[in-house]
Amino acid sequence: MSQEVINLRKGDKVAVGFTNITVGLGWEPNEGTGGTFDLDVSAIMIDENRKTTKDFFIFYGNLCGRRISTNNAETHKGYADGTKDCDKEGCKDGLYGVMHTGDDPDGESSEGGDDESIIVDLNKIPSNILEILFVVTIDSAEQKKQNFGQVRDSYIRLLDNGTGKEVMKYELGEDFSIETGIEFGRLYKRNNEWKFDASGIGYKEDLGFFLNKYFTGTILGKNKTT
Amino acid sequence: MQEVINLSKGQTIDLRKNFKGENVYDLSQITVGLGWDVREEKIFKTVELEQSMIDRLLGKPKKYEKIEIEQDDFDLDAIAFLLDSNGKVSNLGKDLKFNNGNKVGLHGGDIVFFNSMTYPSGTGTSQMLFPEGTPKSEIGRKINHLLNSGELIVHTGDNLTGEGEGDDEQIIVKLNSLPAKIDKILFLVCIYQGDKRQQHFGQVDNAFMRACDANGKEIARYSLSNSKDFDGMRSMIFGEMYRHDSEWKFRAIGNPEPTDSFVEILKRYLNK
Repeated sequence: MSQEVINLRKGDKVAVGFTNITVGLGWEPNEGTGGTFDLDVSAIMIDENRKTTKDFFIFYGNLCGRRISTNNAETHKGYADGTKDCDKEGCKDGLYGVMHTGDDPDGESSEGGDDESIIVDLNKIPSNILEILFVVTIDSAEQKKQNFGQVRDSYIRLLDNGTGKEVMKYELGEDFSIETGIEFGRLYKRNNEWKFDASGIGYKEDLGFFLNKYFTGTILGKNKTT
Repeated sequence: MQEVINLSKGQTIDLRKNFKGENVYDLSQITVGLGWDVREEKIFKTVELEQSMIDRLLGKPKKYEKIEIEQDDFDLDAIAFLLDSNGKVSNLGKDLKFNNGNKVGLHGGDIVFFNSMTYPSGTGTSQMLFPEGTPKSEIGRKINHLLNSGELIVHTGDNLTGEGEGDDEQIIVKLNSLPAKIDKILFLVCIYQGDKRQQHFGQVDNAFMRACDANGKEIARYSLSNSKDFDGMRSMIFGEMYRHDSEWKFRAIGNPEPTDSFVEILKRYLNK
């Protein structure tokens, strides 16, 4: 099967011809003084009313839609409710087609490669979900006075799992040096076709800021109280 | 019920060492304490007093009286789940039957709470062990006795109102003596019948949960009241002690939930 290779640039909107996608986040641990950098990648699944719910917000606290969180950051084993292997629960690829591989609190998971990823199977996305927004944020950036410019070799990229090819990549330290939160891009459905909008917009905001746009419930643990 | 998403990851605290590798805490024994203030705010309603026939005939003004509405006390409970290496509560204990035919469940298993006061034995309910009015000295004596006679975890009793200074309820754990099959201890707090009594943490004054080492040195503390985050919440997973590389660590979680029932939370920790 021949697959056209697309190479996206900021602002590009293209149809994605493949259905298995990885959004990978990588960075290197802090070797200097000061605290660790804790970057997070999250996906907000947005329905036809432009809203999300607890199940459809995929992040370190809800890896597969079953609200299993990566509380055990050291080992990536033993999630908050004791489940070690989502495979057994039938949600290996995420209950709703979106699966987070688990939180990395300091960038130690991989040297040079992805430290956290979100894996998407577009065929398994429920029909009421029309958009998936991917964001990268720095945990407690405000308290720790951190931004992407201080993090070594950080990037966010989009891969076609079928070919293993990198379709889109941002170097966070260069592209978003003073920011703390990034809207990487959006997968969205038009006429039953999934497209990707490589928006690439940086903010001096935290994860709660992005979630707050689509979630009507209560958000605890935000860095900012606004 | 409104949905809640908690974005905070919780802090991990290495209980043995500081950044220089020195021992900071004495973990031979840890105490998780729960404290709150007795309900003081009074609510009144105005009622019309009944008028005598004569007063009514004479057209005298009606009289009113303010009366206090009876309110339930806040009854917060400290609870510990003992988890195995699969993160599950493997022993749910047994029913404890009384002479009058009543019974309570989950006794003598891997849950330490007001109806199963010690691990491993259970040792009855709070009411049996420390009947109302038991003097403080007597409670202390009994707890020491239990800890010296093979009990590894002891609950200091169910405080029904929050009366008293400092910790109102404690769970004392001989951390270093626990069998290997206990891999993690989860500590939580619930408001007893909070749903029925229409109570939540947002109404309780000065509620906190904290963990202290054998010398009473505080390791972590969460305030449960005076914060918008806890409005509408009736339980909280305070934190967990867990084994890591043959040492114990503590992770402060502070995750509030709307349910008032620890059994509801327990369901997530059961083998399917």
